[in-house]
Amino acid sequence: MVDEIQKKLQAELDKFKIVQKDYHKALLQRQQLDGQLNENTAVKQELDLLKSGNEVFKLIGPVLVKQDLEEAKQNVVKRMEYISAELKRTEDLIANLDKKQDTHREALAKLQQSFQQAQLKAAMKA
Amino acid sequence: MSQISATEGPMLQQIDLTKLNLQQLTQLKQQLDQELGVFQDSLQTLKIAQNKFQESGTSLEKLTPSAKGKEILVPLTGSMYVTGKLADTETVIVDIGTGYYAQKDIQGAKDYFKRRVNYVTEQMEKIQQIGLEKSKIREAIMDVMEMKIQGQMSTQKELAETA
Repeated sequence: MVDEIQKKLQAELDKFKIVQKDYHKALLQRQQLDGQLNENTAVKQELDLLKSGNEVFKLIGPVLVKQDLEEAKQNVVKRMEYISAELKRTEDLIANLDKKQDTHREALAKLQQSFQQAQLKAAMKA
Repeated sequence: MSQISATEGPMLQQIDLTKLNLQQLTQLKQQLDQELGVFQDSLQTLKIAQNKFQESGTSLEKLTPSAKGKEILVPLTGSMYVTGKLADTETVIVDIGTGYYAQKDIQGAKDYFKRRVNYVTEQMEKIQQIGLEKSKIREAIMDVMEMKIQGQMSTQKELAETA
């Protein structure tokens, strides 16, 4: 009886750990995306401040390539849209994993309780 | 999400610290310690960024029209330089992030660095503010913890005396 519950407990714990790992990964990803969005917003602001006479370059590998200002603006806006969508997706994922974590946590607590009870019973019998 | 906000979100519920048990309090304190650590790190990073922008800004002061044609040493590697002549003292090219570089006149570049420094300083102030609030909460938790421990000790003593 005790062995059986212990096995179940271990299995549940493993599952919980996997979810926890995914959760941390998602958190990290959100942080990264958030940073990227911030950077792109700042770049957009700077590009908006530029006059049409100012030249804009883009760093491609080790080379600075001249870019059209309008094109650069459009590119940054497009990238911001993409990052925002990714951010939304990651946030949904985080909420999802959060719920999963909670259910696993509950299951773990229950199993732990029954494990302790079973252990107590076994000890009484012995 | 894009900015650090000093106001607390509505989803934060009020918790009466005295209603928590010692274990929960310890957990909460650990969490706060961790958060404070993150704030410290962020402040350090921001400080470095602030310095970098400030340095760039001040080095622009040296780039006056009268410096045109003057000799400069251009670093090819960290330890090797070649001589060059300043051909253009009117405009500079500034890294504005995500691989984009913009050509700006001296005044524009100075303004840009000033803006950046101001922005970074603003964020630093916000973080400091939040950090201060958090350390206040942390102190409150420590106080409650001490109270609880003392309460536990006195009940134990009583129990020992009655036994």
